[in-house]
Amino acid sequence: MIAGLIRSLVGGFFGTIGFALLLHAPKKAWLPASAIGGVSFALYWFLLRIGWGEAAAIFTAALGGSLWAQWCARRMRMIATIFITLSIVSLVPGLGLYHCMEYLGAGRSAAGLQAGVNAMIDVLMIALGVGVGSSVFRMLAGRPRPAKAPPQGDDRG
Amino acid sequence: MPVGESRYMEPLQLAGRLIMENGGETYRVEETITRMGRAFGLEHVESFAVPSGLFVSYRRADGDTETAVMRVHKGSTNLSRVDAVNAVSRQVERGDLTCEEALQRLQAIERRPPALTKPMQVLGAAVSAAGFTLMFGGGAMHATVAAGVAALVQGIGQLLEKYRMHALVSTLLGSLLSTLLPMAFQRMTGLGMVDAIVAGALMPLLPGLAMTNAVQDAMRGDMISGLSHGLSAILTATLVAGGALMASAVMNLTGGALP
Repeated sequence: MIAGLIRSLVGGFFGTIGFALLLHAPKKAWLPASAIGGVSFALYWFLLRIGWGEAAAIFTAALGGSLWAQWCARRMRMIATIFITLSIVSLVPGLGLYHCMEYLGAGRSAAGLQAGVNAMIDVLMIALGVGVGSSVFRMLAGRPRPAKAPPQGDDRG
Repeated sequence: MPVGESRYMEPLQLAGRLIMENGGETYRVEETITRMGRAFGLEHVESFAVPSGLFVSYRRADGDTETAVMRVHKGSTNLSRVDAVNAVSRQVERGDLTCEEALQRLQAIERRPPALTKPMQVLGAAVSAAGFTLMFGGGAMHATVAAGVAALVQGIGQLLEKYRMHALVSTLLGSLLSTLLPMAFQRMTGLGMVDAIVAGALMPLLPGLAMTNAVQDAMRGDMISGLSHGLSAILTATLVAGGALMASAVMNLTGGALP
């Protein structure tokens, strides 16, 4: 269990940091966004292992990631899009989409459609988790206050 | 340089276009234009953004409404640029920048080369693929293979982009290689977990993020953007599937199905 959790955390962290490079994210967002990505996937993995359903686990992980992402964006005075986008990268059902294609290509239509439907449910749950997270965060934290001093450099927010 | 109130249109359009071209959401484009316009002292500022175009209008002091339409061509995602445009918008709102200064800042953002070089992008693809392969249950060897394949695919994609090859060709070829090379590796070495390697290497190509954004757009009530992004994601998924299926067919032709 612990080894699996660490693997999920480390894999999710590095997977997300690679995406931060690919999407030209501002440098100061790399580490916090990757930490959110790693923890989100580890939470999803853990919830599945303790018996939660797929949809509930991915929704909860996306919700937690979204809340943390918006908190980071507010603290660092950067746009929430950067953190939210990177926080869900590790959750998007890449393996599910691959299995969908693999089964359909092998003529296993029923299995392929099942994998495709499962992947779409995951996508919907991620979007729902992010949406609910955004609403809850706005409700709890209110609108951001304007910065007192002009921000500096490339990564200002 | 436009004179009078027409000078406000250029920074508003440029801010919107930069956000859209670099992967920002349509709601952010509309919000940024409206906030900047109000900060410039304009009345009845309206904007409407769809993934391929932008409409901006405001009422001038003489009562006439000035409207402009702009075609937007989606580029590659560059979140640093979106963040920089957002920073300019905030400075305009605080009154720290005039219209002319804002335009100069936005033009500088447009001219600025990408923060990360192409080799860094290749490194990003490699690190990402290795991380996701580990996440999907692969070991160090599988992660190394996935990193190599993803780096190769990213490098080839950059080469095709240089020769102005369509992005769809790059996706199809990338998917073919991301599936074929791990399968060939497995056949030669007998090491398992080919699906973890393939999924890890395919992650930078898969439209999972685009699909999620499309659903988020639709949930926000932005149906046009949701449908547009959704169709784009489906097209990409079809090409990725096509490449993966071609790879399976090649492997079957050259020695039977994989174990």
